[in-house]
Amino acid sequence: MTATGEAIRFEGVTKKFGSLTAVEDLSISINRGEFFSLLGPSGCGKTTTLRMVAGFEQPTEGRIYLDGEPVEHVPPYERNVNTVFQSYALFEHLDVEGNVAFGLKRRKVPEDEIRRRVAEALELVQLTGREKQKPSQLSGGQKQRVALARALVNRPSVLLLDEPLGALDLKLRKQMQVELKSIQREVGITFIYVTHDQEEALSMSDRIAVMNEGRVIQCGPPEDIYERPTGEFVAGFIGISNLLSATVTAPGRVRVANGLEFPVSLPNGCKAGDTVNVAIRPEKIAIDEEVTDDMVSVDGRVEARVYLGVMTQITVDLGHGARLVALEQAWHRARADDRWEPGMRVRLGWEAKNCLVLR
Amino acid sequence: MSATLAGHSRTRSLHVPFSLRRRRPRDFDRPRFLRVFFWAFLVFTFAPLVVVALFSFNSTRSLQQFAGFSLQWYEAFFGNANLRASLLASAEIGLVTMIVGTFLGTTLAFGLVRARSRVARAGNVLMLIPLVTPEIVAGVSALLLFTQIKMELSLATIMIAEITFSISFVTVIVRARLASLHHEVEDAAMDLGATRLETLRLVVLPRLWPAIVASAMLVFALSFDDFVIAFFTTGESPTPLPVQIYSSIRFGVQPTINAIGTFMLVVSFLIVALAIALPRIFGHREEESVLIGREAA
Repeated sequence: MTATGEAIRFEGVTKKFGSLTAVEDLSISINRGEFFSLLGPSGCGKTTTLRMVAGFEQPTEGRIYLDGEPVEHVPPYERNVNTVFQSYALFEHLDVEGNVAFGLKRRKVPEDEIRRRVAEALELVQLTGREKQKPSQLSGGQKQRVALARALVNRPSVLLLDEPLGALDLKLRKQMQVELKSIQREVGITFIYVTHDQEEALSMSDRIAVMNEGRVIQCGPPEDIYERPTGEFVAGFIGISNLLSATVTAPGRVRVANGLEFPVSLPNGCKAGDTVNVAIRPEKIAIDEEVTDDMVSVDGRVEARVYLGVMTQITVDLGHGARLVALEQAWHRARADDRWEPGMRVRLGWEAKNCLVLR
Repeated sequence: MSATLAGHSRTRSLHVPFSLRRRRPRDFDRPRFLRVFFWAFLVFTFAPLVVVALFSFNSTRSLQQFAGFSLQWYEAFFGNANLRASLLASAEIGLVTMIVGTFLGTTLAFGLVRARSRVARAGNVLMLIPLVTPEIVAGVSALLLFTQIKMELSLATIMIAEITFSISFVTVIVRARLASLHHEVEDAAMDLGATRLETLRLVVLPRLWPAIVASAMLVFALSFDDFVIAFFTTGESPTPLPVQIYSSIRFGVQPTINAIGTFMLVVSFLIVALAIALPRIFGHREEESVLIGREAA
């Protein structure tokens, strides 16, 4: 795979449906061979973006370049992209083989080459032996694989996936996440993956664009998105985030609602008196005996406890309306008689570097 | 299938001593009395038809006593030039209405399902009106229209009226089928390189085909033996067969009518059988559900 150069570039793409703006001023470029995810809540414009790449929708403004060529005059059936649809959209009257061969037949590929490539594609998605079955005879996971094979067999320069795992149960979804990623590495095709599941995006992507209300809020590798969210929306959408409203008191110091003052690293341009949001990931918060002297520490009362198996989530009231959610690993307290109960006093702490200031 | 199973268990239980016989637990959703209803339904539906068919082969004029087998009433039917012309007229009406009505109804279904305009939403309701309009009102209004525009009554006016009436039946059936086809399926076809026309031919029509065939057969069966609309919109001659029968009854009931009735019944049954058989022949077994309400496999 030659993972150089860009596969797709959006230049100021805007899509309006009547008075509704679905996508606004989108400008990103996606590299060849990249696994790129569009992540956001439903209605954020991610599917519309995908449909514009496929050619089902035309941008109201701006341009989309595929392999360096503008595509606004290219109909869907002439674009070198293929889509895996959310509903799978299999052709019910054709068998598995007929479905997978559909694209190659349209392009008048010779009969024996079709047979060879269909067999290869079915092997890739582990469906060899099911060639003659109808979609109605397959399980959800198998239909999903047929949809994937049907798209991949055409060797598109970009594969578009619209929440392809949305209809599968949790276990199958996890398994397919791993398989999708390994298939993507194997074939080396650019994947654009639309999802509202942050975990899915984090686990598979090379880069993620977080979208909200038609705009890309942040774009970067999963680690950046998770560890260094640039705004409240991203911090809140990805994982559970504790957001505390705070006032800057001095360079490198903030004070939160309950009067606690502590050091943080402030972004450039913050001056005393500014109101900011302080974000701390629950898993970065130490509880009780884990709190060490070099941490910022705070006392509070346990308000609620949610047992999650792997860990226990506790919500701590700091007073003055400030709350923090913390996660305690299961190896701390494994027995029912030794657990946090609402009302118990608890000390929380965190390292100053794990505290992020959002404006 | 369930009938043979039930019969089987009954014969076996005869060999079990009475004291050992226990009440077999039964499915709660299959009460026995429904069978009584079913057989009653069959008797009430088919007994009159059987009588008509039987007496069409009677060797005497009697409509009460069956004397012996004969084909004389069929000879009288087919030997009568007027009746032959009427039969031909009815067949013509059926065929033309079927072809034009099915085409228009199918295209209307496409428009109603695909268009997102306010007109389409209104159309979805408006197209139901012919289904609930009493046929006599449809017939009278068609007659008024034709006289208003000074159109001479003929086979053509019957066809126009029948087509107008039948479009809704086609649209209702095809629209249901079309609505079950996810719009992403068409997107997928185009995504894989099929042009709009290829998408229609390779993906949409194979799915709609059973519904189109079913509605075509239904339209033929409805217009071939329709009386009310034909009665109001028919011209001098030839008149369609049902109208012809009606006017001949005024001079007393002839046994020939039994022969004509039996013949039309057979034609209608053949059409329905064809509608069920065609999708099977073309290998869409799961599509039987459209016609006989069976769950898709």
